[in-house]
Amino acid sequence: MRPQLIAAALLLCASNAAAQSMRPFTTFRQWHGETRLTARLEYAAGTLRVGAGRADELYRMDVSYDEDRFVPVSDFDASDGSVTLGVAAEGGAGVRVVSQHQLSQTAGIAFSPKTDLALDVDLGAVDGDLDLGGLRITDLDLSAGASRATVRFTRPNGARCRAATLSAGAAALTVSGLGNSRCDRIAFEGGVGKVVLDFGGTWSSSSKVEVRMALGEVTLRLPRQAGVAITLDKFLSSFEPEGLERHGTSYRSPGYDQAARHLDITVSTAAGAVRTEWIGEK
Amino acid sequence: MPTASRVAVAACVLCLAVPGAARAAGRSDPDSKSATLVSDLLRLVSDVSTFTRAPRQSGPVPQPIPAAPPGSPELDLNDLSKPPDLEARLRTALHPTDGVVRITIPGGTARLGDYTIGTGEQIPGHLLVVQGDADVYGRLLGNLVTVQGDVVVHNGGVVVGDILAFNGHVRRDSAGEIGGEVRTLQSASALTATAAPPAEPPPSTLETLFRRGAGAVGVFLTLGVLGFGLVMFGRQNLEVVSDTVSHSFGRSFLTGLLGQILLLPTFGMLVVGLVLSVAGILLLPFAVAVYALLVVVGVLGGYLAVAHAMGETYVRRRMALGQAMGSPNSYRYMFIGLGALAAFWIAWAVFGWVPVAGNLIRAVAVLVSWLLATAGFGAALLSRAGIRESFAGRLLPPEALTDEYLWATPQFGVQAARRPGSRTPTRGL
Repeated sequence: MRPQLIAAALLLCASNAAAQSMRPFTTFRQWHGETRLTARLEYAAGTLRVGAGRADELYRMDVSYDEDRFVPVSDFDASDGSVTLGVAAEGGAGVRVVSQHQLSQTAGIAFSPKTDLALDVDLGAVDGDLDLGGLRITDLDLSAGASRATVRFTRPNGARCRAATLSAGAAALTVSGLGNSRCDRIAFEGGVGKVVLDFGGTWSSSSKVEVRMALGEVTLRLPRQAGVAITLDKFLSSFEPEGLERHGTSYRSPGYDQAARHLDITVSTAAGAVRTEWIGEK
Repeated sequence: MPTASRVAVAACVLCLAVPGAARAAGRSDPDSKSATLVSDLLRLVSDVSTFTRAPRQSGPVPQPIPAAPPGSPELDLNDLSKPPDLEARLRTALHPTDGVVRITIPGGTARLGDYTIGTGEQIPGHLLVVQGDADVYGRLLGNLVTVQGDVVVHNGGVVVGDILAFNGHVRRDSAGEIGGEVRTLQSASALTATAAPPAEPPPSTLETLFRRGAGAVGVFLTLGVLGFGLVMFGRQNLEVVSDTVSHSFGRSFLTGLLGQILLLPTFGMLVVGLVLSVAGILLLPFAVAVYALLVVVGVLGGYLAVAHAMGETYVRRRMALGQAMGSPNSYRYMFIGLGALAAFWIAWAVFGWVPVAGNLIRAVAVLVSWLLATAGFGAALLSRAGIRESFAGRLLPPEALTDEYLWATPQFGVQAARRPGSRTPTRGL
């Protein structure tokens, strides 16, 4: 029945949507040999694509935004080498999505693959696809409010990543290729929703992962080439330790001690399910 | 000319130019001639590259925009990080009330039309270019803003600050330098430096009278055509609705009023009901169209039925007074009724220009039209579009009107006076 209700609501909103207008805005900055960039992406509503761009541009954003409710944000601070990009609600108010039209905003943001990048992403109601492969991510902080987001590391990270902190309110979040991320520490904190953490990719170092989920489903896709240990703290959650052996309070993959690289995962969950899947060749 | 053709032409020109240059180089100092050759080659490539730019429509004659008088608002180009804000200020500056554009830019200059910063030239402050392209071969030490124009930073050109292009594009050659941030914002409405078009003068009284009269005549002619069709193809339903208005006017009006109030809620319930049902969602487009059609037919048909009732009442009264009215039929009723309704609007068309009376006449015309349309709509609802005769005062079915009945029942004269406790089968004369 829910789709019908949504359809009825959209039908009633259709006339309102017709009055709105989308506006193209582009910004970029020439690369002048910068070695570090701190980028903050604020994107309230719509579709967002993030990836690697041209080497001669430090960053670029192409956005088509709803000028009645949003303003484009493009603010570079040369003193500390930071930039804020995205689309914010006009007047600094919170995001209130009142029609499907607002979600038709689109933005493509690209960063230079030659510069170390500390990336802070704050998403509202967004359909996001962040392909961070090929970039030089040194820090990643992603907050997905009520978004459907996919974060991918399709290629190995060009730099050593100190930490990746991911959080989601009521979101569907998929993070794939975490092995390519080269992050020493990965933390995820979720409220309600469905989360897939895919640890595929090329593991060049050991990593520690902390997953805290209040209510929802967490799927861990574990690499066979690394020694995996999962420490679980659950209350009303189910856990399927497929292919793992119990060692006291934790579960380990066979041959954990002999593995060259270790993936240590701590999972805390209140209610929901924790699933494990194995990826890669046996 | 396609790009491939341009490249071919450039190659031919090169073939012709290079041997000549080489011969010339052999006749004098080889170093200086080589430099000249390279310079010529670069100029040729640069010229060919400029051919690829799309031809622009001829813009205004390039000229400086004069500074605004002291005390006027200034246009600060120091911060270009909020393009929509700057656009609003530009819109104000480019559309002055007196039609003469004057802009003061603190620490900068403003230009109208194409503008080029030549090689070796250096401009110390900000630059605003309106309705023209900005070609940078030299050095601009401030920010650059263009309105309705492109920015091209050529090889060797430098813009130290930010660039912002409204309704334009920014292009940088490989050896061009842009120190700051580049932004482009496309606008739906043109930001041109032209004076706002003068307001259209109000139409004269005669023109107004003609326009309104033509409008009223056109509308009622259309209604006449519709009424003609309704009488021809749906006379029985029309007469029942018409009789319902005559006999139950108050009830028809109240029903019509209630119907108007419930139109939207009923529509909402219909949509939600269809959406919630599995099969009904497929019927939604048809249901919406049919509902809208029924409402239009109900209101329009009801209005025409009221016109019919008015015409019929008028004709019967005239006939009762013994005046000759030709053939009393529904066509006559309809056109007389529509004429009466049109009289209000014709009166407004003729006297609408009178300061106070014009508004009063219009208010009366609107009120009467709404009142009668509401009553007609209500009558159409009560009589189920002329199918149900309960409210039409037709107590006797047509088949009961036999010769015996008509012989025993006087239709005219003293004997035909209303009897106590009975209702007349026809409209009162």
